[in-house]
Order: sequence, then C-alpha cells, then structure tokens
Amino acid sequence: MLVLSRRVGQKIIIGNEVTIEIVSVSGDGVRIGISAPSETSVHRYEVFTEIQVANKAAELISNQVEDDVLENLAAHIRTKQKS
Amino acid sequence: MPVINIKEKEYTYSEGDVISFAEGLIGLPDMRRAVLISMNELEPFRWLASLESESTRFIVVDPNLIFSGYDPFDSSIKNSSPVQTLAIVKVSSDWQKTTINLRAPIVIDPATNRGSQQILSDSQYQFAEVLPQN
Repeated sequence: MLVLSRRVGQKIIIGNEVTIEIVSVSGDGVRIGISAPSETSVHRYEVFTEIQVANKAAELISNQVEDDVLENLAAHIRTKQKS
Repeated sequence: MPVINIKEKEYTYSEGDVISFAEGLIGLPDMRRAVLISMNELEPFRWLASLESESTRFIVVDPNLIFSGYDPFDSSIKNSSPVQTLAIVKVSSDWQKTTINLRAPIVIDPATNRGSQQILSDSQYQFAEVLPQN
C-alpha cells in the first residue's frame, strides 16, 4: 500500500480524473473531499462491503430455496396487494 | 430464441431483453449481462439471472409494489427520465424473515437496457427491510 503524508488543503490524484483533498482534521477524524467522474462510484468502504455480503447471501439463498417456498411467499405478497 | 436455465427449467428470452451492467453488481462481477425472467406463479417476483454464470441469479421485485412511495432518488428534485427500479429479495421460508434490500436498488434505464446497482448513502432505507408485517 502506498502511504503519503498530506496537509489540510493538499490533494492526491488517482488516475487522471479522481482527486482526493484533505478538507480538515480533528482529533483522529479526517474530512476528505473526493472529485470523480459521475460514473465512478464512491462509497464508505464499510457500506460497500455490507452490500457485497448482502448480495452474496441473497444469491446463495435464491439458488437454494425450494420452489414452493418462493411460490408461497409470492402468493402471500399478492394477497397483501389485494387487501 | 436463446434460452436460459433456471432451476432445471428452460426460459426463452430475446437479445433485446438483455440488460448490461457495466460494472456487474456489487461483489458480483459475473452479472454484466443478465435477463429478467417472469413466471406467473412467482409474481410479483422475478428472476434476475446472469447470462455469464448459471449460479448467479436473484429474486428481485419492484419495491414500489410492496413499499408504496419508495422514492430512492427523490424524483421531486431530480427531474430525470423514468427508470426501472428493482430491489433484491433475500428469501426466507418464514415470510416474516424475508428481507428486501431498499438501500442498494438496481436501476435500469429502459431506453438503453443499461443497469447498475446504486448505493444510497445517508439514506433512511435499509439493506434488509422486512416485509410489512400486517
């Protein structure tokens, strides 16, 4: 991993288009400004991994679930929609 | 017509139905080309099935059918063209434990059939929202 030292107001550039600016530092907290093309997604790492885990779990369960469980669940939702 | 196998049954689709996810889904890079498969007995659920990996598929649902008023992108502010929104369902044999990912919806542009999974940051919507319990 590349480790760089920066001061408040200084930036880092990744590739040609992504810049990261140290906005402020307070105690052990750092505020970071990120400029990136709109098609580049930027997320807090924990949120990203949480969704990764959720996607994998949903994929696994979708493949393992019995047809009748799915059909019963769908029927339950259809009943709710009508009521 | 090309066919896709889901749980040992064949379903046909047309090339025009293929949805492309340039980045795959989050944590699932095998989801770059996929199709939505409807089955009467599963309505309102549908399968979102990868054309690249037979085991990569999900149960999805239009979240608005279950959570009316679901508006992840605040359409009153963002005046953009209508998109199709789908949410991934994590099925449980106990319907009360079935959850829907409202925090990371799949968004598809019907004009181009391009899709992506969006993460709503700082949102009230949950990764694992339970079905309405009454």
